[in-house]
Amino acid sequence: MFRHNALRCTVLLLLAAAALFQALTAGYFGLEILTEILILAILVLALDIAAGFGGMVSLCHGALMGVGAYAYAILSAKAGLSPPVAMAAALALTGGCAWVIGAICARSHGIYFIMATLAFGQMAYSYVFEAPVFGGDDGLGGIARLDLSLIGVDLNDSRSFALFCLAVLGAVYGASVLILRSGLGRSLAGVMHNEQRMRALGLTVWRVKADVFGLSGMIAGLAGVLAAQHVMYISPGLLSWTVSGEALVVVILGGLGTLVGPLVGAAAFVLLKHELSALTPHWHLVVGVILIAVVMSRANGIFGWIEACWGGRAERRAAKAVRKQKTKEVLSDA
Amino acid sequence: MLELSGIESGYGETQVLHGLSLEAQQGRVLAILGRNGAGKSTTLKTIMGLLPLKSGKIVFEGKPIARQPYDVAKSGIAYVPETRDIFPSLTVRENLEIAAKRFGGAAPEWTMERVLDLFPRLGERMDNGGTQLSGGEQQMLAIARGLLMNPRLLILDEPTEGLAPIIVKLIHDKLQDLKAAGLPMIIVEQNFGFATSLADDVVVVGKGQAVWTGSAEEIRADEAAQHTWLGV
Repeated sequence: MFRHNALRCTVLLLLAAAALFQALTAGYFGLEILTEILILAILVLALDIAAGFGGMVSLCHGALMGVGAYAYAILSAKAGLSPPVAMAAALALTGGCAWVIGAICARSHGIYFIMATLAFGQMAYSYVFEAPVFGGDDGLGGIARLDLSLIGVDLNDSRSFALFCLAVLGAVYGASVLILRSGLGRSLAGVMHNEQRMRALGLTVWRVKADVFGLSGMIAGLAGVLAAQHVMYISPGLLSWTVSGEALVVVILGGLGTLVGPLVGAAAFVLLKHELSALTPHWHLVVGVILIAVVMSRANGIFGWIEACWGGRAERRAAKAVRKQKTKEVLSDA
Repeated sequence: MLELSGIESGYGETQVLHGLSLEAQQGRVLAILGRNGAGKSTTLKTIMGLLPLKSGKIVFEGKPIARQPYDVAKSGIAYVPETRDIFPSLTVRENLEIAAKRFGGAAPEWTMERVLDLFPRLGERMDNGGTQLSGGEQQMLAIARGLLMNPRLLILDEPTEGLAPIIVKLIHDKLQDLKAAGLPMIIVEQNFGFATSLADDVVVVGKGQAVWTGSAEEIRADEAAQHTWLGV
């Protein structure tokens, strides 16, 4: 089960401070990169809840993000709903879709679960790609951002939108912690360790998995809504399985099942992408090599490696203190 | 209370139980004894729906038992497995709450307070992780978690497995308290002395069948049966 420790709090504070500093001082390009990181961070938090804490490695979270984005776009731009109502409806729809996918896939494990979620993702992608109402290959444009003028915030300004995304990410992180610490989170931890034992404890395992997958999907949908508002245009590419694959890479790169790790991974991935793509069009190769190095190092991603180093240092300190104490005792006995 | 008639079960294509029959009665403790591989744990797993029932009948309180583990648990049977299955990433409190919140109901017979009265050691370890417990503490936690399911029948698989003699005595005393409180139990146990001093009735299982049935006094007096079926 998820717990905060000194290292996690420190990294979290550093990340928040860096994001806030960037949001307040960066120019247009810097703000765009920051917003990209923040939206990706929301998506990978969603995936970490399902994959890292529930063992449900999903290849349809990109599609769920796309469902959120398209639902918001259609409801606000075409159905004429106000953006807040369209946003709430989009989240409810994405959560519902994810719950159904979770309920259907809950009885499968490992590679079969991955393939089943991939199939759902590809079905959504194909449907959106081919249905004229979604604009086909051309996508949909003219998507409005939320209107927060009542509280004096203009989200059409890049800086305000980046700060808004940061606030949403903070809220999502808090909600994720609450979910993982709730009864549902405890049950999920039990299911992750020993499904059969949880069944013998009277738990309907598929229901727990579906509920968690539904909540995770809703968070992915929120990332989609923000992505749609960010670019003000969406295309079927948002639902592609490669988006899910990329999100999985980010989670593994950052540290699966740590919540903080995926945030580190999102920042590292987007920064690497932008820095390397300026140098070479084959930036994927470099990211691939880094990912292989991380996986082969047997550390749980970048953050897992930091945690292991931190833990090792703390152990060495404790051992040193014990040795000192023993030496003192021996000397005093002598 | 619980009646097994001619049950056949096993692991995949390997059949372990060949028409086993036994009966656990209300308010009494039944010990299932037998050598390694006789089918004792398989019997418990089949009762709990963790292994498929290939043929035969299991009846609990007059009704055929459900075949899904969660339905069996909801029908009032708590199972404490040999492996204890403590969730390592959860604290003692969280391990207990998983059962308490699910089976608490309006006026539960077993509450967190009552369970901690029975096992005060757990009260001192509430915020420790599952992996930080000794074997004895894990067994106490597994039994406590079972009790918080407010069962009408408690099933224990090898409760003394791998425990120090002093802890075995403690577990024995606690189970004796539960017996005195009228909780029916089925215990699978290798420790002959432990099992027969706690049980009212005994079934000896050999090669997947009940080969000896009687009272605890009778098996203690029957040295031939002990020698033939238990190697004592």
